[in-house]
Amino acid sequence: MGAVVSLRDVRHRRGGREVLRIDVLDLAAGERVAVLGPNGAGKTTLLRLLAAIDMPTAGTVLLDGVRTKPGAVALRRRVAYATQRPGLLSTSVSRNVELPLTWRRVPRPQRRVAAAAALRRLGVAHLAQRRAGALSTGEAQRVNLARALALEPALLLLDEPAAALDAESREAFLADVEQALDARTTTVVHVSHRPDEAFRLADRVAVLVEGEIRQLATPEALMRNPTDAIVAGVVGYENLLEAEVGDGGAVAVAGRPTGLHCSVGSGPAMVAAWATGVRLQPPGAQGIPATVEHVSPGPGRWEITLAAPMPLRAHVPLGGPPPRPGQSLVVALDPALAAVLASPRARHRDRRRRLVI
Amino acid sequence: MDPVGEVLARSAAVSISATLIAVAIGIPVGTALALARLPGRRSVAAVVNTGMAVPTVVVGVLVALLLWRSGPLGGLELIYTLRGMVIAQVLIATPLIAGITMAALQALPPDLPDELRGLGANRRQTVVRLWLEARVPLLAAAMAGFGHAVSEVGAATVVGGNIHGQTQVMTTAIVEGVGRGDFTAAIAYAAVLLALAFAINALLTSVQQRGSSWARS
Repeated sequence: MGAVVSLRDVRHRRGGREVLRIDVLDLAAGERVAVLGPNGAGKTTLLRLLAAIDMPTAGTVLLDGVRTKPGAVALRRRVAYATQRPGLLSTSVSRNVELPLTWRRVPRPQRRVAAAAALRRLGVAHLAQRRAGALSTGEAQRVNLARALALEPALLLLDEPAAALDAESREAFLADVEQALDARTTTVVHVSHRPDEAFRLADRVAVLVEGEIRQLATPEALMRNPTDAIVAGVVGYENLLEAEVGDGGAVAVAGRPTGLHCSVGSGPAMVAAWATGVRLQPPGAQGIPATVEHVSPGPGRWEITLAAPMPLRAHVPLGGPPPRPGQSLVVALDPALAAVLASPRARHRDRRRRLVI
Repeated sequence: MDPVGEVLARSAAVSISATLIAVAIGIPVGTALALARLPGRRSVAAVVNTGMAVPTVVVGVLVALLLWRSGPLGGLELIYTLRGMVIAQVLIATPLIAGITMAALQALPPDLPDELRGLGANRRQTVVRLWLEARVPLLAAAMAGFGHAVSEVGAATVVGGNIHGQTQVMTTAIVEGVGRGDFTAAIAYAAVLLALAFAINALLTSVQQRGSSWARS
């Protein structure tokens, strides 16, 4: 059964600097939460607090209502922490997976069965007798995760498990991780700086920036309604534009209408737009005038950089001919693929605008 | 001079005992210096590193002053005894073993202790596993400690007194032979001492390289 995890008024300082500040965070039993944020946001610090490796400078971390404290080995053994570096020991793969079970005094026959099952689940059963030092990076990551899963932990902590893998290996690895986790009720906290990876494995995603959770929501809610421009940037919006909301709610960028409308208030705002939501139209149409700067082919699309009053990126399907560099166009934004956000200038007034589609 | 076999047995007993005691002290001290966040850790590390370079005759003089009949530990009656020589050799070998242990554990991936704790290891399990990960340099530390102890002559002479039938060991016998111009005996003792050092180091090297090939492959 997965653990219920609660953080209350947690503050953590390192090197005289506050690196984590979480007032409230509750994870339900069996929930999968991804922590998404740039490097240095405090993601690994959060995992170390959850693993009871470090204690918070202030506040409490509770696992099923029990407060973590130094030396609480029994509590720590309900958690498995798969670090970013596989950290395999200089012995065989099977011994690597069995060793944490030995520490928990699991009898040998059960250890063997659990280790074999975990290795099989991650597709590395054939490596069981291999020395850990002879594994490739991808194999080592799979063994690292198998070692954590073999413990049947109440809380599984994954620190960027696919960070060192190339695109192809990452895809296969994540598919296997998804499958391995699907059969379980373990509570999972997964740290990543890649939105696609976080969205794929999580029920909810916490965006962590400079030690604070800026937004905690389902992947869909995060993609549709980021709370501010920083969150929009972290979740992958390619275009963040300064905008102005008129009295009627029409949203303009550089004084030009965008086709977006906002339900509340007028004044400065930000527009976050996915590159796939940037529509290229012939000159004379309604929208933001722009000039094509650069065109390059991407996976199934043309990736276009535009010079407008501010730089813009657009993705258009590979089907048609691409625009030429230097060509003049008019840009409109698809309301389904853009969000109007509070301007950083107006954030202190806690304004939050909702897009009207 | 005493018969070679007798002197060899005495040398081996003193140096092996001293090495075992130095390992028992030096490895935990080196481990604490590598892993624990204690106040004054750097100062202690500096003392240990200095201890690696102290001439053995200086150690011998310090131990002799302590064990001298009028010295603070004179009541123990250890001066000019094999036990006194073991104490001196422990003091010679321990800094070397502690220093190499500290360097060996610090050379492991810095996240490894936390990774082991993240998998549920308690403090003892973490330390034992780190020793196993560093087994090759730790065996090198034991070999270096034994080599230092068995080959030193200064402390053995000052603390043991090279008393025939009681405290004469291989190195002091060699020095005595050279001093008397009996080079044949000195060379014979030297050859036997070399054979002893080789036999023990060959045994430890075999264990070490077995560990090394396991870690590499």
